Amino acid sequence: MNRKSGIVVSWWALALFLVIVALLAPVFMSGYALRFCTFVLMWIGLAGSLNLLTGYTGYLDFGHVAFFGTGSYVTGVLMLKVGLPFFPAMFTGAVVAALIAYLVGIPTMRLKGAYFAIAMLAFAEAMKHVVLELDGITGGGNGLSLPIYTNYTFFYYTMLAAVAFTIAITYWFGRSKFGYALKAIREDELAADVSGVNTFSCKLIAFAISAFVAGMIGGIYAYWMTFLTPDDSFNVLLTVRMIIMAFLGGAGTVLGPIIGATFLASIEEILWASFAYTYLIIVGIIVVIVVLYIPRGIVGLISEKLIKRYGKGRKSA
Amino acid sequence: MLLQVLLNGILIGGIYASFAVGFSLIFGVLRIVNIVHGEFIMLGAFITYWLYSIFGIDPFLSLPVSFILLFAGGYLLQRFVINRIIEAPEIMSLLLTFGLSLIIVNIALIVWKGDYRLVNPEYAGANLELGTLIIPYIRLATCVFALLAVGGLQFFLQHTNTGRAIKATSQSKDGARLQGVNPARIYAITFALGAAITAIAGSLLSMSFSVFPAMGGDYLLFSFFIVVVGGMGDLPGALVGGFILGILQSLVTNFIGAGLNYIVIFLVLYIMLITRPAGIFGRGLIE
Repeated sequence: MNRKSGIVVSWWALALFLVIVALLAPVFMSGYALRFCTFVLMWIGLAGSLNLLTGYTGYLDFGHVAFFGTGSYVTGVLMLKVGLPFFPAMFTGAVVAALIAYLVGIPTMRLKGAYFAIAMLAFAEAMKHVVLELDGITGGGNGLSLPIYTNYTFFYYTMLAAVAFTIAITYWFGRSKFGYALKAIREDELAADVSGVNTFSCKLIAFAISAFVAGMIGGIYAYWMTFLTPDDSFNVLLTVRMIIMAFLGGAGTVLGPIIGATFLASIEEILWASFAYTYLIIVGIIVVIVVLYIPRGIVGLISEKLIKRYGKGRKSA
Repeated sequence: MLLQVLLNGILIGGIYASFAVGFSLIFGVLRIVNIVHGEFIMLGAFITYWLYSIFGIDPFLSLPVSFILLFAGGYLLQRFVINRIIEAPEIMSLLLTFGLSLIIVNIALIVWKGDYRLVNPEYAGANLELGTLIIPYIRLATCVFALLAVGGLQFFLQHTNTGRAIKATSQSKDGARLQGVNPARIYAITFALGAAITAIAGSLLSMSFSVFPAMGGDYLLFSFFIVVVGGMGDLPGALVGGFILGILQSLVTNFIGAGLNYIVIFLVLYIMLITRPAGIFGRGLIE
C-alpha cells in the first residue's frame, strides 16, 4: 500500500515537472528547437483527438485528417476573406468540423466499425476535392496564403493550450459516466445498449468532440504555416500517423497519445528527410508488431509490468 | 455520345466487378475488411508490367502468373499473419491489414519509384467500330476476361468440394467444423482466392490505366463502394455494383467534371448507407 501510494506521488511529481518544462521551454529555446517542440505538441493533440474517438469507442477513423483540414481551411478563409481575428476563426473552424462529423456519423456509425472506417476514407478524399473545386474561396490547387505572423512563441503556447484542453477531455472521458458508457460500447456494443446506454448518440457526441479537437489544431496549424494546400491539409499520411501514434502509445489512455506522438515524431524527425519510404515501412512494421504482440500499446505494457511487481490496488488494500 | 459514355462505363465496370468480388469474398467468409486489397491490385499490375517490359510477354499471358503468385502470397499471409487475430475485435484486423498495406506500398516505392508506367502492347490502339460507337478491342477483351474470372470463381464455389466448404464456413463456422471442415485452411484458401482474382483484375487494369506503387488506395475505395452498393459478401451484387460504379464514373467524368468523382462517390455511399445499408438487393451482411 505504501509503495503504491509512493508510485502515485512520484507520477504526479513527474507530471508536474513535465508541465513546468513545457511552460518554460520557449525561454530556453528558439528557432529549430521551438519549431520541433511545437510540432510534437501538434502531434500529441492530433493523436489525442483520434484517441478520443477510436480509443474510447473502438471506431477506427481512416479519414480523421478531414477534420484537421476542415479546421485549417475554415480558419484560413475566415481570416483572409472575412477578416476575422485568429481566435474566433479557429473556434469557428473547430465547430464546423464538429458539425460535419455529427452529420457524417449519422449513417456511418449505425453500422459495424469497418463500414465507418472506410466510409471515412472516402469522406476525407471527398472533402479534399470539395476544397479543390471551391477554388473561388479556397484558392483550389494553388493554395491559400494567410496573413503572416511570425511570433513562434505564440504558436508554441497556443498549441500547448490546445494539447492541455485535449488531455483534460481525455481525462474526463476516463472518469465520467459518459466515458464509462463509451468504454462499454467498445467492449460490447450490444450489452451496452441493453444496459440502457444510448450507444448511438454517445458515439456521435464522442465523434463530434474528437473532430472539434482536430479542427482546432488544424486552425492553429493554418495560422502557423501561413500557407495551405488541399494536398497538405487533407494528406492521408496525417491520418496514418495519428492512428499509429495513438495505438503505439496505448489507445484509450491519457498518456498513450503523448508517449506515442513524442516517440514517433522524434523518429520521424531523424528519418523522414532522408529516408521517407523506409520510415513508412518501419511505421508499418510497428503497426503489425503492436497488433500482434502489444495490442494495448506502450502504456498497457508498462502498467502490466507495474501491476505484476506491485499488485493491483484492490488486492493490496 | 451518351451511348458511348455508358459503354465505356460498362467496359471498365467489368474489371471493377472482378476486384470487388475478391474483396466481398474475403469479407463474406473471414468477416474482415481487408485494407491490403488495393495492394493486391497494384502487385498484379506490376507483375504484368514487368513481364511485358522485361521479357516482352503479352499482357494477357501474364494473367496466370499474377493468379498463382498472389494465390501463394495470399495463402501465406492469411495462414501465418492475419489468422492470428481472426478472433480478435475487428479493429485489430483493420489495423493489421493497414500496417501490411503501408509496408507493401513503401517497399514498392523503393523498388519501382513513384513513376507512372503503362503497359502498351501493339494492338492497344485497335478499335472495333459499330456505327458511331468505338470499342477499343483491349477494353472489350479485358472486360471479358474479368467476367470470365468472376464466372470461374462462382463455378468453383458452387461445384467443387473446397468451394462448398468455403460457402459452408461463411454460413456457419462451427457448423462447417462439425462436418470436418478445417476453418483455418478454408480461411487461407479463401484469402488466397480473393487475392488471386484481385491480382488478375490488377493485371487487366494495367492495360488501360497507369501503374504506380500508390495506385491501390483508390481501388480500395472503389471496392468498398461497390460492395456497399451490391451488398457486403454478396458476389452477384458485387458484379452489379461494379457496373454501377463504372457507369457512374463515366457519366460524372464526361458530363460534370472528373474532379467531382470522389464527391459523387461519397454522396452515393452516404445515401446508400442511410437508405439501403445491405445493398440494393438487401442481401448484404450488416451485423
